Amino acid sequence: MQARSADLKVQGLEKRFGEVAALDGVSLDIMSGELLTILGPSGSGKTTLLKVVAGFEKADAGTVRIDGIDITALPPARRDIGMVFQNYALFPHLTVRANVAFPLEMRNVARAEIETRVTEALQLVELGGYDKRLPKQLSGGQQQRVALARAIVFNPRLLLLDEPFGALDRKLRETMQLEVRRLQRRLGLTTIFITHDQEEALVLSDRIAVMNQGRIQQVATTTEIYERPANRFVADFVGESNIFHGTVTEPGVISLEGGRRLLARHSGKTGQRMGVLMRPERFGRGTNVFAGEVKEAVYLGVSFKLRIACDDGLELIVRQPARGELPAAGTRVNVSIDPEDIHVF
Amino acid sequence: MFSRMSGRLLGIAPAVPALIVLFVFFLYPVVRMLGYSIEGGTFEWYAKALGEGLYLQVFLNTFEIAFWVTAICLVLGYPLGFLLATTTPGWATLGFIFVLLPLWTSVLVRTYAWMVLLGRNGVFNRAMLEAGLISDPIPMLNNFSGVLIGMVHVLLPYMVLPIYGAVRRVDPSLVSAAEGLGASNARIFRRVYLPLTLPGIFAGAVIVFVLSLGFYITPALLGGGRVIMVAVMIEQQVHQTLNWPFAAALSASLLVVTLAIYALAQRFTRSSEAA
Amino acid sequence: MSTKNLRRRQAMGLAGAAVVTGASSAFAQEPPKPAQIVVNHSGGSMGTAMRKAFFTTYEKKYGIKVVETSPADFGKLRAMVDSGNVEWDMTEIGGQDAIRAVDMKLVEKIDDKIVDRSKYPEKVRTPYVFASSVYTTIIGYRTDVFKNGSQPKSWADWWDVKKFPGARSMRNHPTDNLEFALLADGVPMDKIYPIDFDRAFKKLDQIKPHVTVWWSTGQQPAQLLLDKEVVLATGWNGRFYDLIKKGGPIAIEWNQGALKQGSFVIPRGAKNAYWGQKMLAEMSVPQQQAIYASELGYPGLNLESLNYVDEKVKPFLPTQYIDQQFWIDDAWYAANGTKALELWNAWLLKKA
Repeated sequence: MQARSADLKVQGLEKRFGEVAALDGVSLDIMSGELLTILGPSGSGKTTLLKVVAGFEKADAGTVRIDGIDITALPPARRDIGMVFQNYALFPHLTVRANVAFPLEMRNVARAEIETRVTEALQLVELGGYDKRLPKQLSGGQQQRVALARAIVFNPRLLLLDEPFGALDRKLRETMQLEVRRLQRRLGLTTIFITHDQEEALVLSDRIAVMNQGRIQQVATTTEIYERPANRFVADFVGESNIFHGTVTEPGVISLEGGRRLLARHSGKTGQRMGVLMRPERFGRGTNVFAGEVKEAVYLGVSFKLRIACDDGLELIVRQPARGELPAAGTRVNVSIDPEDIHVF
Repeated sequence: MFSRMSGRLLGIAPAVPALIVLFVFFLYPVVRMLGYSIEGGTFEWYAKALGEGLYLQVFLNTFEIAFWVTAICLVLGYPLGFLLATTTPGWATLGFIFVLLPLWTSVLVRTYAWMVLLGRNGVFNRAMLEAGLISDPIPMLNNFSGVLIGMVHVLLPYMVLPIYGAVRRVDPSLVSAAEGLGASNARIFRRVYLPLTLPGIFAGAVIVFVLSLGFYITPALLGGGRVIMVAVMIEQQVHQTLNWPFAAALSASLLVVTLAIYALAQRFTRSSEAA
Repeated sequence: MSTKNLRRRQAMGLAGAAVVTGASSAFAQEPPKPAQIVVNHSGGSMGTAMRKAFFTTYEKKYGIKVVETSPADFGKLRAMVDSGNVEWDMTEIGGQDAIRAVDMKLVEKIDDKIVDRSKYPEKVRTPYVFASSVYTTIIGYRTDVFKNGSQPKSWADWWDVKKFPGARSMRNHPTDNLEFALLADGVPMDKIYPIDFDRAFKKLDQIKPHVTVWWSTGQQPAQLLLDKEVVLATGWNGRFYDLIKKGGPIAIEWNQGALKQGSFVIPRGAKNAYWGQKMLAEMSVPQQQAIYASELGYPGLNLESLNYVDEKVKPFLPTQYIDQQFWIDDAWYAANGTKALELWNAWLLKKA
C-alpha cells in the first residue's frame, strides 16, 4: 500500500446556521504526512469544519485546497478523502470484505486487484480472517478497524477521523489510539483527527488546532499548546490549570487581582494586563511561595491532587508525587513554584 | 418452578384482553368457517373450488390482478415513500396528507370519483379529445385497466408507509459514507438504500398483495363486471345461493394461499437480511 | 309465554285501560308496544320513499319508532333465524329468495286478520310473503341518440346492433338476461320457462362484445346513461323514472319488460312480529301505496291504489303496461338459480 498523501490548505472558511456562526473565518495549513488534531468542545465548529473538508457541507465562503488544487466545489465522491465516522457507518448488509471493497468497486478497480488490496488492508488493521462476518457480529474495536481499513484501502489523499473512539472503553481506546498513530505514520497519510478529549489529542497529534466558537484559537505542537497556550480558553481547555489575571508592575513582576505579587518571566510593559497560568504539576521548588490550608485532597495513584486555600486569598490546584500520607483537610502547607514554570499570556 | 410458572403467567396477564378479542373475533370465526367447509365430513366443496375450471380461473384472475396491483404500487410507491422520507418536514407533512387522504374517504366515493374521471366522456378523455391528443376516447373504465387504477389508488398508502419507514431507518451517515467513498447517486441507491429498504418493500408488497386478493367493490364497479375476483364469488355463495360450505371452502382456499405467500415472503426477507 | 311477559302485558293493559277507557278489550289481545321496531330494506331512495309513505303515519298512529337498516340480505336473514338472534321485525327480500326462505322456514305467516289483502290479485296473496310493489327491468335509452321513437322496441331490436348501434349495459346476473336472450331469439313470452340454457347463452354470445358494462348495483345503469358511457341500458324502471323526473335526457321503452314483485317478510322469531304485521297493514293501505308509487315509480299491489295516483305519474308505472310484459318465474329460479348463476359466471369469464 503506497502513500499518496497531500497537503491541505483551508482559507477563510465561513459557515452560518441561522444566527450561529459555525465557522467564523477558519484558515488552516496541514502538511503532507502530518496528523493534525482539531480539538474543541461540542459546538465549537470542528465537525462542521470536517464536513466542509469532506464535502458534505458547503461553506458560505472560503476555499479548500489539496496540493494546491481548489476542491471547494467538488462533490464528496470526487475528493478522494477517506473518512471514519463517529458511529463507523459500516454498511450493515455487507460483509467485512464487501465493506472494505466498496470504495474500490466505486472506482471500478479490477476484481482481482480488489481482492488483493482488501486482503492487504484487512491485514494492516489485523482483521485477517474476519472477511465473511457482518458488522453486527464484530466488537466495537473490530468495527472501528473495518471502518479504518475501508477509509484507507483506496489510497486517499487525506484521512479524516471524526471522534472515532468515543464509543470505546478506556483501555480499548488507548490501544486504538496507538494503532491509528502507528498506521498513520507507516502510511505517511495526512490525517485530520477530531476530538473533544484533550488527553487523546495530546497522545495522538503532531499538531493540535484548538477551536472555539467557530474560530481557531491556536495551532501548535502538543507541547507548545500545553506549555504555552495562546489564550485563556486554550489554557483552560487543555489540561488542568490555575489561571489568574494581573497587571505588570515592573519587569519580572505581576500583581494579581487581590494584591499578590508574582515573580514570572514576561514580555509585557508596565501597566499591561496579562493572564497567568500555573500547571498543578509544576509546583515544587521555587521563589514564589504560597502558604495555605488544604481544603480537599484526592489520591490519584501516581499523585495527590490538593485544593489549597492560600492565605493571600488565592485558591490553587496542586499535584504532588504520591509519597507518604495523604494530607488531611485542614493541614497547613507551603507550596512553591519557579518563575520559569509560570506561563504568562 | 412454580414461581417461575406463575411469573410467566403474570407476564402475559396484560395481554389477556387482546387475546380474548383475538380469539372471539378472529380465531373462532376462522375455525367455524373451516368447520363449515367440511360440513358432513366431505371435501366435495374443496374439490369444486379447486377442481372446476370456473373457480380455478377466478383464482388465477385474482392473483393476476393482485400481482399487477402490487407491481404498480411498488413502482409508484417507492419513489413516493423515498421522497417523503428525505424531503423537508413541511413538504413531508403535505405529502402525507395527500397519500393518506384516500384512506379517509369511503371506497364507494373513491370508486365513483374514478368513474367520473376515467369514463368515455370522463374528465381525462374529454380533456385529451379537446387538446387533440386523441381522436377517439381511450377505454380506461369498465375493463382491466380501470380495476388496476382504482385498486392502486386505494392500496398505494399501504405500500408507501412501510417504504417510508424503511427509508427513514437508513442511517444518514451510511449515505454520507457511501458518498465519501466515491459512490454516485445511482450507486448509493442501488448499493445502500435498496438493500437496506428491502424489508420495507417486502412488507408493503405483502400487505398490498394480500389486501388485493380480497377486493370486491372496486373490481365490480370499475371492471364493468368483466373482472371477476374470488371475493365476488364468495359473496355470491354467501348472500345469493346461500351455499355456505362452498363459500367457506373458497375462503379457506384463499386463506391458505395467502398464508403461503406470506410465509414465503417472510422467509425471503429474512434470507435477504442475512445476505 | 313466560310469566314475566304475562305480567308485563297485564301491567301494560292496566296502564292502557287507565288512559284509554273503552279500548281495554282490544288491548287484551295486543302484545305490549315496544319503543321501536326494526325494518330492513334495500336502502337508498327506497328508504326515503317508505318513510314518506308508511313509516311516518305508522309512528304517528302507534307511537313506535321505526328504525331502518339496509341492505336486504338473504344470508343475514338465515344467520339471524338460525342463531335465534333476530334483529329485524320485518325485511325486504328478493323474489326467488322469498320462495326459498319459505321452504327453509325462515319466515312467519302473514296474519290476514291484521293485514287486509282483499283487494290484491289472487295470485300474489301467498301465506308467508307480502307483495309490496311491482317493478320491471326494461330498456332505458338516451333521447338525444334515439330521437322521435327510433329506440329499440323489443329484445330482438336490442340485439340488432346494426340498426341500433351504440354501447349497451346489462345486469351482471342471469335473471332477466336469459329471458331477454330467449325473447330476442324468437321464443314467445309465455314459453320462456323452463329456460333453455344452451339457447339463451348462445344468443347472449352475440350481444356480449357490445355490452360495455355489466352492472351490479341498481344505481349504475341510470348513471351510465347520464354520463353517456352507454346509450342503452337495461335497468329497474324506478331508477330511470328518478332521472326523468329530474330532467335527464332519458326515456323508457316498456315493451317486453321483466316484471317482478317487491316482497317483505317477517323473520321467524322476530321480537316484535305483531308490530311488524301492523306495519305490513300500513303498507297495504291504497292511499299510502299511491304516495310510494309517485315517489319511486313502483306501484303497490292493492288494486285500488291506482285511483289515488296522479294522472301525470301513471305513464311511469309498470302496471300500465302489464300486458306487454312478462313475470319473472321466481319458483323456477328458486330451483335453478344456483345453476344459472354458475353458468352465468363461467360465460362471463369466457374469452369472447
